[in-house]
Amino acid sequence: MKFVNKLQESIENHAAHNVLCINNVFYTYRDFAIEISKIRSAVTNVVDDSEKLIGLVTNDDIQTYASIIALWLEGKAYVPVNPTTPKERNTKVFELTETKYVIDSSESSIYEDHTVIASAALDDTDINLKPKDVSGDQLAYILFTSGTTGLPKGVPITFDNVDALVNAIDAEPEFNLTPSDRCLQMFELTFDFSVVTYLFPLLSGSCMYTIPKGAIKYFYIFKLIKEQKLTVLTMVPSIINYLRPYFPEINAPDVRYCSFGGGALHSDIAKEWSDCLPNCKIFNYYGPTEFTVYSGFYPYHKETDQKAHNGIIAIGTPQKDTLYLVVDENNKEVAIGVTGELCLGGPQITPGYWKNEERNAISFFTREENGKPIRYYKTGDLCFKDEEGDFLYVGRADFQVKIRGYRVELAEIEFHAKSKSEKKVNMVALDITNNLGNAELGLAIESEEFDTTEIFDHMKTKMPGYMVPTHVRFVKEFPHSINGKINRKELKTYFDIQ
Amino acid sequence: MNKEEILSKVKQAFVSVLDHENFQLTYETTADDVDGWESITHMMIISEVEKSFGIKFKLMDLMNMNNVGDLIKTIESEL
Repeated sequence: MKFVNKLQESIENHAAHNVLCINNVFYTYRDFAIEISKIRSAVTNVVDDSEKLIGLVTNDDIQTYASIIALWLEGKAYVPVNPTTPKERNTKVFELTETKYVIDSSESSIYEDHTVIASAALDDTDINLKPKDVSGDQLAYILFTSGTTGLPKGVPITFDNVDALVNAIDAEPEFNLTPSDRCLQMFELTFDFSVVTYLFPLLSGSCMYTIPKGAIKYFYIFKLIKEQKLTVLTMVPSIINYLRPYFPEINAPDVRYCSFGGGALHSDIAKEWSDCLPNCKIFNYYGPTEFTVYSGFYPYHKETDQKAHNGIIAIGTPQKDTLYLVVDENNKEVAIGVTGELCLGGPQITPGYWKNEERNAISFFTREENGKPIRYYKTGDLCFKDEEGDFLYVGRADFQVKIRGYRVELAEIEFHAKSKSEKKVNMVALDITNNLGNAELGLAIESEEFDTTEIFDHMKTKMPGYMVPTHVRFVKEFPHSINGKINRKELKTYFDIQ
Repeated sequence: MNKEEILSKVKQAFVSVLDHENFQLTYETTADDVDGWESITHMMIISEVEKSFGIKFKLMDLMNMNNVGDLIKTIESEL
């Protein structure tokens, strides 16, 4: 729980500093402390002490950020849901976590079956940022990612997990935020990458700049870099893929750090982007939600450090207290230079998927090392380690893909597409690369053409927007490989979206 | 090319990216008014408009584009 104490200190010590810039409005750490205290007081008045998991509607406002800290001070976890995601899916999340209380800053809340704390309409109260004593194995948040069976998969993260993350980043001499830093916070709070983009600025007294809902985010980011002179950028690689045609017009000397994560960073674009940021250190971070955001990074430099495999920048080495292990199908370690599945061990590992023993038995294993049992998470990412100890990314071991940084199980899309279809035909979801180098989703249907409106309307009620395919193709007969499997690679060629 | 012609060509770009025609394009239309017009499709629409008019937008112009009217004005200045 040390990081919660550090948050208290930082918020108190930087009272006059700006903490957030939302839609051109600045808020100070003092404003933040007031909002936190109001929400905290409401939580203690309304919520039973035994209720640890509290829903949070992730609007783009100071109350939503303050809610996270208020819950942490009370030793409770936030269960975030995106207001633009279908209500049915969000309600499912609350059902799975047995969440009875929801903090919602919206003018009117749609979660009428829950006890709602309307965080934007609370009474004033004294500032109280002193954390409660809480055991480190209590949960700090639960995030839901796409699951293969049509149900989202919950990843619980404890206070100890977050403490270990903060510890590891503090131990890194190359990365130090200061109170004068201006940091980009472009992520939805249901996306685990957001944890580092709000937590590290808050711990350092820096200011975060958010992207208003409805803004064209690529241009808004550029506007912030240019007009607000951002110094710290944390992004998914697809952002620079979309900005690439405009690189010649970008020169941002104020940017000190640029961290990438949530997808493969390609070396050609990394070099070009690096030219736009003449005074910047670039970090290529790696880490799954199950391991509390980051597990390690590669310090990229366009001249001296540009190690890559198949054009994808290395993911480097594990951070403090984290262990990387590359294994074969039998969970046995493979030799240097041999590709296998990357597994992660150490204090940032999740206690396991939420109420999902079946999945836990597959995704985690324990291995004896120097007489001690070490628990490992199997990432599903194929990697190898080189002679210098750097890890290089090769690809995915399964049908999970990344769409705009979000992890998507293609099987979940297929599940929802088929479940509403009157025609019982084969449907395959595919990730297709568009002419800007970004992945988009396509749905291939083995049939003569028919009206898919109903299928798509259904998918839109079941999944967040980024999971609904943007392209449909009817194929009379799916191509198959020699061993009888659908040839996904060939199927992708039907999607001509170049 | 007059304003109507520009608007109709812009509409074609929207239709080809968004795959539907359930919208009216006026000078005041913003992303909120058109189903499917968001960050990603905006980038595709911009690239489609650039192709069909044979122009190349500047990032500075794109950064301050808030509605269809802004888009049309920028196209006019490039033609």
